[in-house]
Amino acid sequence: MTPINISLLVFMIGLYGVMSKNNLIKKIMGLTIMNGSIVLFFISIGYRKGGLAPILEKGTTGGIPTTIVVDPLPQALMLTAIVIGISVTALALALIVKIYSKYKTLDIQQLSKER
Amino acid sequence: MSIHIPILIIISPLLAAFLVLFTRKYKIIFATASIITSIVFILNLSSRVLSGDKVTYHLGGWQGPLGISLVVDGLSFFFSLIVLGLGLLVIVYSMPERSYGRTYYFLLLVSLSSMIGVIYTADIFNMYVFYELLSLAVYLLIAYPKTGVTLRASFNYLIMGGVGLSFFLLGVGFLYAMTGTLDIFHIADRLPAAFNSSTRMVLMSFVLIATGMGIKIAVFPLHGWLPDAHSMAPSPVSALLSGVAVKIGIYCLIRVVYTAFSTEMFFLINIHNLLMFLGVVSLLFGASMAMAQTDLKRLLAYSTINQLGIVLIGLGIGTELGLTGALFHVLNHAIMKSALFFCAGIMITETGTRDIQGFSGFGRKQPAITFAFVIASLGMIGIPPINGFASKWLICLAAVEAGYTFLVVIILIASTIAAAYYFRVIQVLFSSSLKQGPMPAHEGGQVIYRGNLFKSWPIYILAAGCLLLGFLPTLGISLVKPAVSLLLFHVVP
Repeated sequence: MTPINISLLVFMIGLYGVMSKNNLIKKIMGLTIMNGSIVLFFISIGYRKGGLAPILEKGTTGGIPTTIVVDPLPQALMLTAIVIGISVTALALALIVKIYSKYKTLDIQQLSKER
Repeated sequence: MSIHIPILIIISPLLAAFLVLFTRKYKIIFATASIITSIVFILNLSSRVLSGDKVTYHLGGWQGPLGISLVVDGLSFFFSLIVLGLGLLVIVYSMPERSYGRTYYFLLLVSLSSMIGVIYTADIFNMYVFYELLSLAVYLLIAYPKTGVTLRASFNYLIMGGVGLSFFLLGVGFLYAMTGTLDIFHIADRLPAAFNSSTRMVLMSFVLIATGMGIKIAVFPLHGWLPDAHSMAPSPVSALLSGVAVKIGIYCLIRVVYTAFSTEMFFLINIHNLLMFLGVVSLLFGASMAMAQTDLKRLLAYSTINQLGIVLIGLGIGTELGLTGALFHVLNHAIMKSALFFCAGIMITETGTRDIQGFSGFGRKQPAITFAFVIASLGMIGIPPINGFASKWLICLAAVEAGYTFLVVIILIASTIAAAYYFRVIQVLFSSSLKQGPMPAHEGGQVIYRGNLFKSWPIYILAAGCLLLGFLPTLGISLVKPAVSLLLFHVVP
């Protein structure tokens, strides 16, 4: 099991949660799990075994590094993706609060019956 | 100054969005002025882009695969022109509504600026970030009236949209793992080598990206969110969603499929047949579901699925004629569908009902609006002098030329069904029995302004646009030409 396979498995678990759960909060949890799996996926792309932090030390002039370093780009991307994921979750939870105060239920089956 | 134009087009509405939050009086002036500024900037680039040139801007001066660059070429110019033109009309149309406060204009401007961001950026992760920003603004715009149905529609869209964009991001991850870059043009350079060594990874990334964008475009099995979201939103927002926001998904699909995945890969993965099949299914499904609706805005929403099916068929045919027809139909559908949603907004506020049967006698009260509605719906069906005919004709010609004659039959069947449901509405509009509307004003109890200038002029402009593009289709085709030649022959390196 490589980390990439595990992340895809977790992605599927999240997708299952979004698709099959009736409770709105559980759907959002599924969405968050999917987001987390993507973070794991990107980080494991950039991982090198025994790699160092990609910091240029004083005196070296860039170019091809002599030691193995971890790819820093996916980590930077994932910072952005985490922030986006949090804002989506926050918006979804805000909507859920409003929906609950209107209908007094979070079950999607009952919500679809309401007018 | 002039080299910074691409970023200024994005920044101008974004800046105005935050200025709008601080003023109550001048919010509309700021909003309109910023969009007009962006349009002026775009027109400034038009002569260079239409002659086949490509304007590239490196953000922060970082070149190539490292930095993010904005690219204005034929394709992105065409789409950004649609976004800004309709965005301006949507703002003008929402002016008379007193219930739309500062946050409404803020969200509108944020969504418009992030749409242009999606269109211009050449960095595929940046594309995802802008798309997510656009989606957040759109979820909030749908929920703006804060009634129960809008909240539910917005939540449904959020779940589906969130899943779709997660798929897209995972696909981007696969592309990065194979090529080691996020710049779409560099991906295009490096992908053929990756394709030979790891075919399955390429397939996987294509499938993930196509599924993600498929949810956003609402192709048939993934359309679940669209009818609710497009019909429950406030009318100007419906026009924005149906006319523009779905087109952004189509843009991303075209960009990724035609630019990143090169043409040879195209035939190996057999994308043509896939797109064509999805197009046919959603064409027939959208048409037959629209037939069954009694709610006018829901009918228009299903009609969007129908028309996007035609665009997908055009893209699937993939010849020069087919692509021209598909892109031209994107423009035409944007114009016609927003005109129809604007008309529907006026009809709903005036009669106080969303039911088609409740509109009887509206044609006598408001002949000009009804006339515009009739023009746009004839265009949707594809009756000759209106613009919808021109693009459908091009797609049909392309289908015959490429040897897919059955597609013509399917498009004609769908057009007949479209005729059935639009004529049903038109017939009710002109029927004489003046039934009194059972309910007072709808859509959050907004005040009715009879024959308001700001509400009717956007409709007249769009209807005139329908007629103009119908009589002079070369006008639209010349706008599409640079994009098509870019996609097929890579004239611009």
